[in-house]
Amino acid sequence: MSEQLTLYLHKVSPFSQKIQLALAEANAPYRAYQVNLRNKPEWFTSKLNPVGQVPVLTYGGPNVNPEDPSSLSAKIVESNVILEFLADLYPNSGLLPKDPVLRAKVRFFIDATMKHVEGTYLAFVQGNESFDNVLKAIEFIQELLEEGRNFAVGDHYTIADACISPHLARLKIVTETDIGNFPAGMGYRLGEELEGPRFAKFKKYAQRMLDRPGFQQTHDEEAIIGYFKRRFTNRIQ
Amino acid sequence: MSEQLTLYLNKVLLALVEANIPYKSYQVDLLNKPEWFTSKVNPAGKVPVVTYGGPSVEPDDPSPLSVKITESIVILEFLADLYPDSGLLPKDPVLRAKVRFFIDATSKHVKGKAQGFMRGSESYDNILKGYEFIQDLLEEGSDFAVGDHYTIADAYISMFLASLKIVIENDIGNFRVGMGYKLGEELKGPKFAKFMTYVQRVLDRPSFKQSYDEESTIAYFKTSYTERVQ
Repeated sequence: MSEQLTLYLHKVSPFSQKIQLALAEANAPYRAYQVNLRNKPEWFTSKLNPVGQVPVLTYGGPNVNPEDPSSLSAKIVESNVILEFLADLYPNSGLLPKDPVLRAKVRFFIDATMKHVEGTYLAFVQGNESFDNVLKAIEFIQELLEEGRNFAVGDHYTIADACISPHLARLKIVTETDIGNFPAGMGYRLGEELEGPRFAKFKKYAQRMLDRPGFQQTHDEEAIIGYFKRRFTNRIQ
Repeated sequence: MSEQLTLYLNKVLLALVEANIPYKSYQVDLLNKPEWFTSKVNPAGKVPVVTYGGPSVEPDDPSPLSVKITESIVILEFLADLYPDSGLLPKDPVLRAKVRFFIDATSKHVKGKAQGFMRGSESYDNILKGYEFIQDLLEEGSDFAVGDHYTIADAYISMFLASLKIVIENDIGNFRVGMGYKLGEELKGPKFAKFMTYVQRVLDRPSFKQSYDEESTIAYFKTSYTERVQ
């Protein structure tokens, strides 16, 4: 794999972290560049992503300074598209299994993460979703997990695990700090529910994901808490 | 619910037909679901669902030995995996990423907006922006969303384009009277030429024509959208 890979990211972005996790799993050499999202460089929106969001992965083209991206590199955006791209570049990494049925299970897990975690759970933190619906959403994810298995699908770390892990860390922060736009105390209450027997399987899986060295190396808890405190200042009553 | 049946079922049907994949099909009455469907095929009760493997059985007598796969995009990727030489997905990783980005863009900029527009809750300007986003991804004069072969990107977007045609030709929807026609006029302008060329090509494909029943979709839309926004 001689083509260059550069990941434009931000340390509080769960979507960026998904990619870092997958790259680590594939042992893929890459350069990381943190984009100042509050003061976006002109070259970022004009040469990399007009939408102005991270993550962006550049692939191929000459080796250049990340602040001077080449027009010759491919620019890949959308975290789940990038995850699939890495699985294609590294077909023997286990990021996606070889068997089509297992691959479908990985994708179904990612689809469920998008709907129930990136959808329902994030809406709850933003103050736009009910507590009951969050529990149902987490239960949906839990049903997909197999008892005694270490990973979301099969017996190897896949892009399904990479996709959900950053959100699991932020869920933990919410339950420990009660930071969010939901009514005061609902974060703590969510934490209590997740400690109960009903969610034992989910909790065990989440802890395994957060304990992984690849995860801990890319997780900046303080920065995320700081960001959450600035972002979620509008409690609903 | 025959529109929903056509809308979701056909993304997968189109891919099956384009790739010449042998399959059996069964039309599920979503308003009157058979018990075996929810108990043996999909507890969530939705279509499309694909069963794969197991013994050859009648569709209404599914075997526990087959694998059940749900969610249109997951099924489309599954078919591309089963038939890697069909062109449903290109072999090159960068082109594959383009196909997936196109599907993601369709989901974000067309699917939600189009449904919102028809329900009367999405603005006219936003739906145009959505089509413009898609247009920017298309290559001039190309028959296909990505590269030079029919991919799951084309299968995915087709039904939304079919619905668009119904809206602009019949003004059916909960938006203000005439907004459907107005949308059609705007899309006929030079600004959207590339987009509308692609739309026409997609809807002209034999695989599309044989899988799609426009009359019953129009009839369904007429019964679904009866409350005009003022």
